[in-house]
Amino acid sequence: MSNDDPTENDTELDLDIDQTAEQIESKEVQDLKNELNEVIKPMDAPPMFPPHPVKCLNPHDYPESYNSNSKKEELVLQYVDNFKTQFQYIYPDRKTLFMAPYNECGIEKFVCTTIRPTILKFSKLYDWKECAQFVADYLQFRLLKEPTELPQILYSPTHTLKIQEGNCFDYSVLLASLLIGAGYDAYIVSGYATREVCNMDQSRIICPLLIKSMEKKTEVKRKEMGKYTVKPPKDMNSKYQASQESKAKKKLEEEALKRKLEYERYLAELERPAADPLYGLRVHAWVMVLSGKREVAETFFIETLTGNAVSTKDDEYLGIESVWNHKNYWVNMQSCIDGTAGLVFDLGDSSKWEYMLPSNDKPILLMPPTEGMEEEEESKDVEKHLDLPPSWVNQIDITLKDFERRCPEGKKVVFYKKCKVEKFAPYLLKDNMVLKITEYLDSEMKDLKQIIEEFVHRADKINKRVINFQTGWVLETFDRGRSKFLKEHRYQQSKAGPENERIMHFYHDSRVDGLKCREETPTEMCEHFENRPDFLYYRKVVFDKRQKKFGPQDGDNYRPILKIIERYNRNYKRKANDDIHELIYNIEAEKFQITYHRESTKIAPSTREFLKPPNWNDKSTTWNWNLDLHQTYQASNEYKQKKNVELYQFLSWLINEEEMVKSMVRKSEEEVKSILNDRTHEETVTEKTVSIYDTDRNEKAKQYKLDIEKKINEEKLRKQTHEVDYLAPFLAEKGLSDKQPISASAAADLKERCLSDLKQRLIDKANLIQKRYEAESNEMQKKQQWYQANQINMSREDEQEYLEYCSDALFRIHILELRLNRHKEKAPIKYQEMEQRLRADPRLSQLK
Amino acid sequence: MSRLYDTVEPSVIDDKMLKTCIEEQGPKDEAGNIAKKDGILYEEVLSLRLDFQNILRVENLWQFEKLIKLQLDNNVIEKIEGLENLKNLEWLDLSFNNIEKIEGLENLTKLKDLSLFNNQISKLENMNTLENLEVFSIGNNQINDYDFALYLRQFKELKTLCLKGNPICEKPEFSPYVLAHLTQIIYLDYRLVDQNMRAEGLKRFEIDIGQIISNEEADEKIRQENQTLEKETHLNKEAYVEGLNSDELFLSLFNEDSEGQKLNLIPGADDLLADYHDKFVSVCKEMYEYGKAQKDLRENEVGEFWKCLNEAKGVNTEEASAAINVFIEYKKNITEELNNITDQVVQEAKLNEYNDEVNKLWDKLMSLEVQVVDQLEEIIREFERNLSDMVNNFVEQIQGFFGQLRDLENIQFEKLQESCLSTLERVIKGEVSDDFPDDLRDLFIDKDTVVNALQTSHDLHTLKIDSREDDMISKIKNWSNTMIEQIHDEEEYKRNRKRVIEINRLIDYFRDEIYEPADLQD
Repeated sequence: MSNDDPTENDTELDLDIDQTAEQIESKEVQDLKNELNEVIKPMDAPPMFPPHPVKCLNPHDYPESYNSNSKKEELVLQYVDNFKTQFQYIYPDRKTLFMAPYNECGIEKFVCTTIRPTILKFSKLYDWKECAQFVADYLQFRLLKEPTELPQILYSPTHTLKIQEGNCFDYSVLLASLLIGAGYDAYIVSGYATREVCNMDQSRIICPLLIKSMEKKTEVKRKEMGKYTVKPPKDMNSKYQASQESKAKKKLEEEALKRKLEYERYLAELERPAADPLYGLRVHAWVMVLSGKREVAETFFIETLTGNAVSTKDDEYLGIESVWNHKNYWVNMQSCIDGTAGLVFDLGDSSKWEYMLPSNDKPILLMPPTEGMEEEEESKDVEKHLDLPPSWVNQIDITLKDFERRCPEGKKVVFYKKCKVEKFAPYLLKDNMVLKITEYLDSEMKDLKQIIEEFVHRADKINKRVINFQTGWVLETFDRGRSKFLKEHRYQQSKAGPENERIMHFYHDSRVDGLKCREETPTEMCEHFENRPDFLYYRKVVFDKRQKKFGPQDGDNYRPILKIIERYNRNYKRKANDDIHELIYNIEAEKFQITYHRESTKIAPSTREFLKPPNWNDKSTTWNWNLDLHQTYQASNEYKQKKNVELYQFLSWLINEEEMVKSMVRKSEEEVKSILNDRTHEETVTEKTVSIYDTDRNEKAKQYKLDIEKKINEEKLRKQTHEVDYLAPFLAEKGLSDKQPISASAAADLKERCLSDLKQRLIDKANLIQKRYEAESNEMQKKQQWYQANQINMSREDEQEYLEYCSDALFRIHILELRLNRHKEKAPIKYQEMEQRLRADPRLSQLK
Repeated sequence: MSRLYDTVEPSVIDDKMLKTCIEEQGPKDEAGNIAKKDGILYEEVLSLRLDFQNILRVENLWQFEKLIKLQLDNNVIEKIEGLENLKNLEWLDLSFNNIEKIEGLENLTKLKDLSLFNNQISKLENMNTLENLEVFSIGNNQINDYDFALYLRQFKELKTLCLKGNPICEKPEFSPYVLAHLTQIIYLDYRLVDQNMRAEGLKRFEIDIGQIISNEEADEKIRQENQTLEKETHLNKEAYVEGLNSDELFLSLFNEDSEGQKLNLIPGADDLLADYHDKFVSVCKEMYEYGKAQKDLRENEVGEFWKCLNEAKGVNTEEASAAINVFIEYKKNITEELNNITDQVVQEAKLNEYNDEVNKLWDKLMSLEVQVVDQLEEIIREFERNLSDMVNNFVEQIQGFFGQLRDLENIQFEKLQESCLSTLERVIKGEVSDDFPDDLRDLFIDKDTVVNALQTSHDLHTLKIDSREDDMISKIKNWSNTMIEQIHDEEEYKRNRKRVIEINRLIDYFRDEIYEPADLQD
C-alpha cells in the first residue's frame, strides 16, 4: 500500500496548477480576480493533512480480510491511485474521486470491493421497494462529518448492519449489495444533492404513505357506432347561446384557478426554506438502478436514506461525480449544469462515462495494470484485464429476529410535512401497533388533523384505525375471522354508542344473510345485501323517536318503526310484472306499497297498494276481504289480473311478512349492540395472537419443541447408562487405557476378573433375595405364633389388622420367591452373555 | 279396490265431482269464501286429488292445463288415458288401480314423480319421453324379468325407485343386479343404496354392463353424427345451396332421363360425360361457396340491424322511464302536500299544477315516442335498401352460375350429338362391335330417332337446371320480403301502437289517482 495519502496528492496538484496560472496572469486578470473575490467569499480550504481516520477499537475482532490487503488488492489500489492521479492531472478543477477510503479497521479498500452482492433468505427482500425500505428502516442515519467533503471512512456492509447506523455512503453500499444480489443492475452514485436530501430532512415532503394511488383510470367507454345506429334527435338549442354561456363559465373558472394558483404560490413562498449557502456543494451518495435487468423498464434512483424511488430527472439531485458497482468504476464526463436531468446513463459510452477498469463487456482500448508510464506504452498491445479481487467483506447475514424488528430498538420516528410517522416492531407495544401516522393541520404540529394506526396479530383482527379529528369520524378495518364478519366500522368518535351515525361493512360472502353494509343514523338504518337467494339487496328502516315511558320499563325498549323499505333484484324466473322490485311496509300509515320490476320494453312498472284491514291485528277473528283494500296500476292491459283469492292470500302474506321483517330489524339492532360491546371489551383487553408458524413466539410450539428436546436428551442418557462399559473399572484398576493395545496375558486376566466379578455379583444378588425371603418368612412365623397365642382375647380390629398383614406378607413372600427363581434362571444366561461379549470385545482381541 | 269392483257401480269424473273436490282441496276459511265468489276455473287449478272415488275411466280432465299434481290413486282405473292435455303435470299418482299396461303418458314430458304402485303391470314401455323422471314407483306389480333394468337406464334423472313386491324381487341376485345396472339411483325400495352391494354387483355383471355401455355409446355416436349432418343440411338450406357441394344436382339431371342414360353408353361418351361432370360440379361447388359466404354476410347485416334497433329502443325506453321516475317523485311530494292542505283555493291551485305536470309528462313521453319512430323508420328504410341490394346481387350472381351450367349443358349436347351421329353412321355401316348394347341399337335406327332422343334428354336437363334456379331465387326473395314485412309490422306499427296505449294508460292513471283522494275529502 502506498503511503501517499490521496488527499495530500490532490492538494499538491492543485497548488501546481495555481502556480502556473499565476505566471501567465496579467493585470486585468488580477483585477477580475479581486472583484470576484469581493463577490464570492473564499471558502475555507480543506486541511492539508487531514487527521488519520479513527480506527475501530478492536480490529482483531474482525476477520483477516478486514485488517489487511491481499496482493491483488494492493495491485488494484496502486492502479486506482494511478487512475486518480491521472484524472486529477487532466481535470484539475474536478473534485477528488471517492475511490479508496479506509474501512472500519483503518485499511484502504477500493470501493468496488466493499460491495458484497448478497441475496438474503427473506423473499420479501427480492423486490427493490421492500429492500430499499428495509435498509432505510434498519439503519439509523448519521450526517457526514463535513457536508461538502467525501467521507474518509467507508464501513463494510456487515459493520453497518451490526452497528445499525451509517451515513449515506454506508447506506448505499448496503443497499447496492442487496440489490445486486437480487439481480438488479444497481450502482452506487457519488454526487451532489440539496440540503434537504443530504440531511434526510423530509419535513417539506408530503408523507409518501399518505399519497394514495388516486390515479383511477377512468376508461371512457366509447360508444360503438354500428352501421344502423340511430341518429341522435335534433338539437333545438341555440348554439350561439350555449357558446356564450360556456365562455362566461370558462372565464369564471379561469379566474378561480388563477386565484387558487396565486394562493398556492403564496403558501409555497411562506414555506420556502432559507437559501442554502452550500447549494450544489453538498456531497451525497445514493443508488441508481439501470433499466434492463429484472424487468426494470426505466432507469431510476433510489434515495437510500428514505427508501423511495426518485426519477433521474428529479431536481433535488444536483450532479454526479462517479458511479460504481461491484465490477467497475465510472466517472461522469457530462456536464451537470441542470442537475441530473440531462445525463445519459449509457455506461458503455466512453465519451460520457470514463471507466476505470476495462471490462469484458465493453472492450475498448485497454488500460492494463501499470506501475509506471513506460510500461503502459508497451502493454497497450497486451490483451490482459485487471480483474477485481473478490470482495473483502464477509457474507451479509441478518437474523430473522432482526429482520422482524427492523428499526433500531424496534422503533423509528420520521417527520414529514405536517406529519409524523412512527414505526414499531410487532409485539413491541402492548396493543401491537406497528405504524402510526399523525397528521397535523399546521407546520408547527400542534393541531391534530388525523391519526392513522396500523396493527398486526391482534386477537380482535383489527388492522387499521383512522381517526379524523376534523370530522370526528373514526374508521376501523378488520381482517377476516371475526365472529360477525365485520370488515370496516366507521363511526363518530364522540358518539360511539348504538343508534348513532355509523357505517359497518361486512365480509358478505362469509355471512349467511349476505349483509354487505349497514348504515345507521339516529332515525334510519340501511342494510345492503349481496347474493341472496331471495334477491333482496336493500332494506331501509325509518324509526320514530322513542316515546317517553313513565313507570317501570318493560323488556324491550326499541325505537318504534315507521317504515321499512325493501328492494329486490330481478328474479328472471318470474315475469317482470310479478317480480317485486320495491316493497314498502308503511307501518305508520298501515299500508303496503309494492312496485314491480319494469319490463324492458315498458316505460313504467306496475304498482300495487294494499291497505291493512281494520282488524288485522285481532287474532280472534279473521279479517274480511274487500276490494277497497287494494289498488293497482298495471303497465299493460295484456297482463293477467290477479284474482281475489290471490290478492287475499297476498295481503295475508304481507301481514305476516311485516312481523318477520320487524323481527329481523330488531335482530339487526341487537347485532349492532353486541358488536359494539365486543369492540369496547376488545379495546380494553387488546389481546395478541401468535401465528402457529411463528415458532419463536408461539408458547405452545416452544413447549412442544422443548419437550421433544428433553425427550431426546433423556433417550440419550438412557442409552449411555445402558451401554456402560463393563471393562472400564478393571482397566482403571490395572492402569490401562482403551487406546493402548492389551497384551494376551493381561487380557486373559482381565477377562477372568470381569467374569468372576459378575459371578460374585450374581451370587450376592441371589443371597440378598434369599435373605429377605427368610426375614419375611420369619416375621410371618412370629406373627402367626403371636396370633395363635392371643387369639382368644383379641379385638375385632386387631384381628382384622392381623389378617391384612398376613395377606400382605404372603404376597411379599410370594414375590420374593418368584424373583429368586427368576434370578436362578437368568443368572447363567447373563453370565454366558457376558462371556460372549468379552470374547467379541475388540480390546481383548489378543486373547486368541 | 278390485274387491269393490263387482259390488259398487263405478263413478264417472263429472263436473260435480271435480267441483266438490276442488272446493274441498282449495283454500279454506275466508280465502275459500272469496274463491267461491270468484268462481273456479279449471285451467287455473294446480293440484287435484281424486282418490277413493271409485273411478273406472279417466276422462274430462282436458281443461286442467296448468295442473302440476294429480292424484288418481285407489280407484278402479284399468287404462291410462285422457291425460294428453296435462302437459305441465309433474306429479302423477296412479297407485292402487287395475292398470295392466303403461300407455298414454307420452305427452307428460315434465313428469318427475310417477307412481304405479299396486297395479297389474308386467312390462315397462311407452315411457321414452319422460326424460325428467326422478321418482318412479312400480312396486306390487307383475314384473318378472330383468328387461326393466335396461329400460330404466335411459332415465338419467331417476333417483328413487320402488320395485318391492314384484315377482322378480324374489330372485337372489336382484339387488346387486339392479344397483349395478342403474347407477343413477340413490334410493331403492325406500332405502338408501348400499354402495358395497352396488360394487359387488358391478363386479359380478362387469362384462354384461360393459357390453351394454359400449352399445349405448355406439348408438349415441350415431345419433350425434346424424345430428351434425342434419344441422349442416339445415344450414345449407338456409344458404339455399343444399346439395351443391356434391354432384347431387348433376346426378339429378339423369334421374328421370332414360334416353340420356342410354346415350351415355355409346362409345366415347364416358369421356365426354366425365369431363362434363367435372366442370358441372366445379361450378356447383363455386356456387356453394358463394352461397355460404353470402349467407354469412346477410346474417351479419341482419344481426347488426337488430343490435342497433334494440339499442335505440332501449335508450329511448330508459329515457322515458327516467322521466316517469322524476314525475313519481314529484307526485309523492305533492300528495303529501295535498294531504296537509285544508284550504280549498290552495288545493285547487295545487291540483291545477299537478294537472299541468301530467300534461307535460304526456308531451315529453309522446315526443320521445315520435322521436324513436322517426329514428327507427330511417334505419329500417336503410336496412331494407341494403338488404334488397344484397338479394339482387345474390340473384345476379346465381343467375350467372346457372348460365354457366346451361352453357356446359349446351356444349355437352353438341358434343354428344356429334359423337352420336358418327356412331349412327357406324351402326348403319355395321362397324360397331358386338358388345354394343341392344337398348342403344333400338335408338340408333335412324337419325331422327337419335336426334329426338338427344333433344329430349337435353330439354330435360335444361328444365332441371332452370327449376333449381327458380327455386333458389324465389326462396331468397321470399325470405327478404317476409322479413321486411315483419319488421315493418312489428317494429314500426305494432310497437308504436303498444307504446302509445301504454303512455295514455299511465297518464290516465296519474290523472285519476290524484282526484280520487281529493274527491274523498270533499
